[in-house]
Amino acid sequence: MAAWDLSVTVEDLGLDAPPVTVSVASDLHVGGVILKLVEKTQIKRDWSDHALWWEQKQCWLLRTAWTLEKYGIHADARLLFMPQHKSLKLGLPNGKTLRLRACFSNPVFQTVMGLCRLLNIRHPEELSLLRPVEEKKKKKDKDLAEEIYDLTEVPLSSVSRPSLYNGMPIHFAGSSEMEAIYKMLSVTQAPPAPEAIAKQYRPASVVDKAHIHGRWLDSSRCLMQQGIQENDRLWLRFKYYIYYDIEPKYDAVRLSQLYEQARWAILLEDIDCTEEEMMLFGALQYHISKVSQSEPQILSSNSAAMDDLDSALMSLEVKMEGDSSSASEMLATMTAPELNDYLKIFRPKRLTLKGYKQYWFKFQDTTICYFKSKEESIGEPIQQINLKGCEVAPDVNVAAQKFLIRLLIPAPEGMNEVYLRCENEQQYAQWMAACRLGSKGKTLADSSFQSEIQSIRSFLAMQKTSTGSHGNANASDESINTHSLVSPRYHKKYKPKQLTPRILDAYQNVAQLSLTDAVMRFLQIWQALPDFGLSYFVVRFKGSRKDEVLGIAPNRLIRIDLGVGDVVKTWRYNNMKQWNVNWDIRQMAIEFEGNVNIAFSCVTADCKIVHEFIGGYIFMSTRSREKSDTLNEELFHKLTGGHEAL
Amino acid sequence: MDDIDAMFTDLLGEMDLLTQSLGQETVPPEPFPSAKEEVNYSIGFTDLNESLNELEDNDLDALMADLMADLNATEEKLAAQIEDLKVPSPPPSDLPAPPKGLSAYPASSVASPTSPSSSTSSNVSTPASSSASPLPPPPPQSAKPTMEEIEAQMKADKIKMALEKLKEAKVKKLVVKVLLNDGSSKTLMVDERQSVREVLDNLFEKTHCDCNVDWSLCETNHELQLERTFEDHENLVEPLLAWTRDSENKILFQERKEKNEVFKNPQNFYLWKKDKRALKEIKDKDKELLVQENFCGTSIIVPDLEAVLHLKEDGKKSWKQRLFQLRASGIYYVPKGKTKSSRDLVCFVQFDNVNVYYAKDYKNKYKAPTDFCFILKHPQIQKESQYIKYMCCDDAWTMNLWVTGIRIAKYGVSLYDNFKTSEKKAAVSSVWTNRSTPASSNPSTPSPTIKAKSPNQANGHAQKPQERPVSKDFGSFPPAPAPPPPPPPPPMADILPPPPPDPVFPPPPPPLAAKSSKRPTPPQRHMPINFPPPPAMENLPPPPLPPPMDDSLEAPPDFLPPPPPASGFGSLPPPPPSINSLPPPPLPAGYGGMNQSLPPPPPDPGFLPPPPPQPVFTGGGGPPPPPPPPPPPPSAAPRAPVQSSGSVKKRPPAPPKRTTPSMHGGGGGGGGGGGGGGGDFMSELMLAMNKKRNT
Repeated sequence: MAAWDLSVTVEDLGLDAPPVTVSVASDLHVGGVILKLVEKTQIKRDWSDHALWWEQKQCWLLRTAWTLEKYGIHADARLLFMPQHKSLKLGLPNGKTLRLRACFSNPVFQTVMGLCRLLNIRHPEELSLLRPVEEKKKKKDKDLAEEIYDLTEVPLSSVSRPSLYNGMPIHFAGSSEMEAIYKMLSVTQAPPAPEAIAKQYRPASVVDKAHIHGRWLDSSRCLMQQGIQENDRLWLRFKYYIYYDIEPKYDAVRLSQLYEQARWAILLEDIDCTEEEMMLFGALQYHISKVSQSEPQILSSNSAAMDDLDSALMSLEVKMEGDSSSASEMLATMTAPELNDYLKIFRPKRLTLKGYKQYWFKFQDTTICYFKSKEESIGEPIQQINLKGCEVAPDVNVAAQKFLIRLLIPAPEGMNEVYLRCENEQQYAQWMAACRLGSKGKTLADSSFQSEIQSIRSFLAMQKTSTGSHGNANASDESINTHSLVSPRYHKKYKPKQLTPRILDAYQNVAQLSLTDAVMRFLQIWQALPDFGLSYFVVRFKGSRKDEVLGIAPNRLIRIDLGVGDVVKTWRYNNMKQWNVNWDIRQMAIEFEGNVNIAFSCVTADCKIVHEFIGGYIFMSTRSREKSDTLNEELFHKLTGGHEAL
Repeated sequence: MDDIDAMFTDLLGEMDLLTQSLGQETVPPEPFPSAKEEVNYSIGFTDLNESLNELEDNDLDALMADLMADLNATEEKLAAQIEDLKVPSPPPSDLPAPPKGLSAYPASSVASPTSPSSSTSSNVSTPASSSASPLPPPPPQSAKPTMEEIEAQMKADKIKMALEKLKEAKVKKLVVKVLLNDGSSKTLMVDERQSVREVLDNLFEKTHCDCNVDWSLCETNHELQLERTFEDHENLVEPLLAWTRDSENKILFQERKEKNEVFKNPQNFYLWKKDKRALKEIKDKDKELLVQENFCGTSIIVPDLEAVLHLKEDGKKSWKQRLFQLRASGIYYVPKGKTKSSRDLVCFVQFDNVNVYYAKDYKNKYKAPTDFCFILKHPQIQKESQYIKYMCCDDAWTMNLWVTGIRIAKYGVSLYDNFKTSEKKAAVSSVWTNRSTPASSNPSTPSPTIKAKSPNQANGHAQKPQERPVSKDFGSFPPAPAPPPPPPPPPMADILPPPPPDPVFPPPPPPLAAKSSKRPTPPQRHMPINFPPPPAMENLPPPPLPPPMDDSLEAPPDFLPPPPPASGFGSLPPPPPSINSLPPPPLPAGYGGMNQSLPPPPPDPGFLPPPPPQPVFTGGGGPPPPPPPPPPPPSAAPRAPVQSSGSVKKRPPAPPKRTTPSMHGGGGGGGGGGGGGGGDFMSELMLAMNKKRNT
């Protein structure tokens, strides 16, 4: 066969260097071309990661056994010889940026698998890559300061699950910098500054959200094919809202990144929630950040607090094994402590004008009783109030030195309102904590009493600092600006000190959760929101003249009226018989049982993305427990690939 | 030192007094036979005398005996126990329970309950404070002296025990009268720790009802005209304590369809917007899927209800309409002039402190627009109050939708767990009723498995029984009551070697004794299953299926000679009766499993070998399906479902087909290539989906 010249640009020689020309014949296979090329460059190095990229056709020549003829390459082909793995800036759900080496030649699905293996995230099929939203380039200098964590040195292994060392993948155990990166990955971040939240792009409407979903990369094509260049920035996000087999033991990174993504979805109002829900999310964020600061280790599976006697027994056992302490001390741990003090009481429902009256109060078990004075406290109390099942609400204004505990006490006739007024912070924190425990049927002996006092105090501290420093200046470590915990909408609606009691109110229900439990609770509440799991796309239904919104959920499709936002129709996947894509007119047609047919074209996203979403969810539903370790990649591509996969 | 000892003894004694009766009740798996009632405290009766009159005869006997036994038994045991305590034994956490319960038992089963209810229990209404406060805190000075470690250990043990007893002393107990459908009533004792489920199980045994999943306990409130079905996981005592003294509230034992309706027809709740006819036609597998989606995920999904309901505003007499929404976090309404978007919703009520009740006849009582009302209130509220939220729906359907939705939001996964438990219970009992024609369920000729033959089998099954200290049970039971066991034909005597030299079995025919003595202490739930050995064995699950007949002839020798001294063996249920028909090896294992509360296999999915293509839920309440087929060789398993039972319905949507022929990757045959691959692909997909369903 006749030999002809093929010129190839070798990236390692510099992009300005002239192409290297090799003499080839059409029956030469790609491997042979590479061999000749390498010989000609006379550079000795590891070329194993290099491959040929055909620029006109936008494809890699990865089958080294194929001949040039089979590939259809002629002398006019512009070929590029370069490594398949390149560095990439990866934005994580927690807002941090990693620099790492990603595969530019495999389908994105596999690239994500590789990234997740590196980051120790299980179930990579649930994640994908997203082109970031362009940031407003107002203050460039600020953006430059961003910290980038470098993981480019980590060798990419092909082992499906890396071995662990000290609870982290072995490639993180090498140096303290690497360990710091792993910590960043697996520990939840501190609440962001309120300004940081306000600065972020917030989708204002369903259409905005739909535009974000138009940014997903195509899983069945490689990064190069999608125009991603070396050192470009991409976001790694959980794409499918169905989280399979979460196991805190193995999923430290996955869980914390999922939490971060959920937290930002709430803060940026990517998903709507009510005010009460927002306060609960705020309380959980506060709790999580507090616990993760005090608990140095990453997410672990410690169970929640035990009840009082159990914990008393536990501590007894510990003591017995250690030094034998005296019996009296042990007994002291189990005799119920009590609170005694002068407080003021007011019953708003009784039609008296007397206002607050002072009595000697005693808190024991779950009961408050009060006497005329300390001296008379041996006799019969004036009244006894069992707090079990009651509602406790704070009414506090630190600046005005108002420390009120509002109790709503159930009785057969209804609820009785009682206000207790404390003199100072210290007293308030104790009695408030006692009331809280009492309302849950716990006594002061409960192990959570001290921590309850502590958290009430830190909330009081929050009120102080936020009133003092206008919320902006760097507050002390203990306190968090409550604006960091809620979406900007509430920044306008409430001042931090108004938010504090509301978040504290929600906080009392979650204060005893362990870190893992709190994160799980956050995710559960997020998942229980009515709009959870919906990815929006603006579409045009066949036969309709206006744009409408298609919501894709893990188990169903929803047709939403663009103007009003009402759900018009719901179709569930399990009634779906088949779906087709007409790639020429970019239209999807879906057939459901009962002769229901729908067809639509996509406006805000390529129909490949919509197609992949639906196929992806169907794939997710086929995952089974017994072979959770092996991912049926082929099936995924068949369900999501479209014509490339066939 | 001495005085400390004395003090502890005192202390323990006192607490013993308080907890005396608990010994029996704390043995969890023991039901209270109907003859064993304790009188402690009764609530809901207008007068104690009257209530005594209402008690059934055996109840009265029980009460009498109770009082008699109280005086002497208490003291004797107390003394004995104090003796025990002096021995520094490392007390297991549940320590007082087992020994006491056992020693007390014979007496109770022979004549009358000894159950020494302590006199202190009469003030049980405020037990927490009364029992805790008298505890004298030790004088701090006296305890300081340095003691030898052993002494300290002893004391620590005692303290631990004291704590334990203290905990038990706080346990409240109630005698509860439950009204049955036919107007009669049953009286039983319920202690604080008992869940509604346990009480239901008790009632099942007392009433011989069919145990289906709808049986429930309901509370009525006469004054407010309310009715509420208790959830099975709730504790019964707590809500009862909220009743007022003169309350006319009642506890009913009834079938309530709505309790588990959401699991039987989830579409009515989760797809309520669809038209009702379509909902009726929904397929079982779709129902199953709905339950899975909403109850088996990381988060429980609450039906997203939205409706205009009538609300009786605080203290006012009029009813106002509002647009309400149900969310997991509470009920919200849309304020006037606002949109339905989440951020504008106003919270109406959250569920932490309220329960939901059906209200009856509110058209009359409160001039409600319809009679389909429900209310939300704190469980302690028993009378009319402005703190009650009165809601009125247009129709019964809506009312059920909301009440169920609120229950899901409030109780979450517990509801589903309850349902599964009661389903299991129902399955067990239906097996038992079907047992009357035992011949029909003869096992198909079991396929031999290598495992069953292997010689180390003996070890295998010897271990299981050892785990539970049943032998002790037997030891404490003199051959005594011997109720007629289902006649075990003893023709195997010739095969049988002389009675196993097991010291635990006093009487010569050990199998009989063992069997009969089993009667009085049936593991609580599955009592009926246990005693007739032959049918039970026929129903043995297939996995360890016995080898064919001829093998059984060789096997006995291995098995029958003097059993190993392991106490576990003593507890083996008499193997011989069935020895002719069934080889022994699998027996013990099967038995062990059964005693541990596993019902006979067919309806229990947990028991099935992994691959059978049986949908998990079908076993449900119906008659037991035929014994599952022998497990197919594993390699064949995954395919099987696809071909045989993988019906068209289960098929996931077909993969996209290209409708326009266009470029095709490697240059294959365009559209044809796609179609060709389709078949292979479909089977793979189905395989994957089927696998998922079976897990």
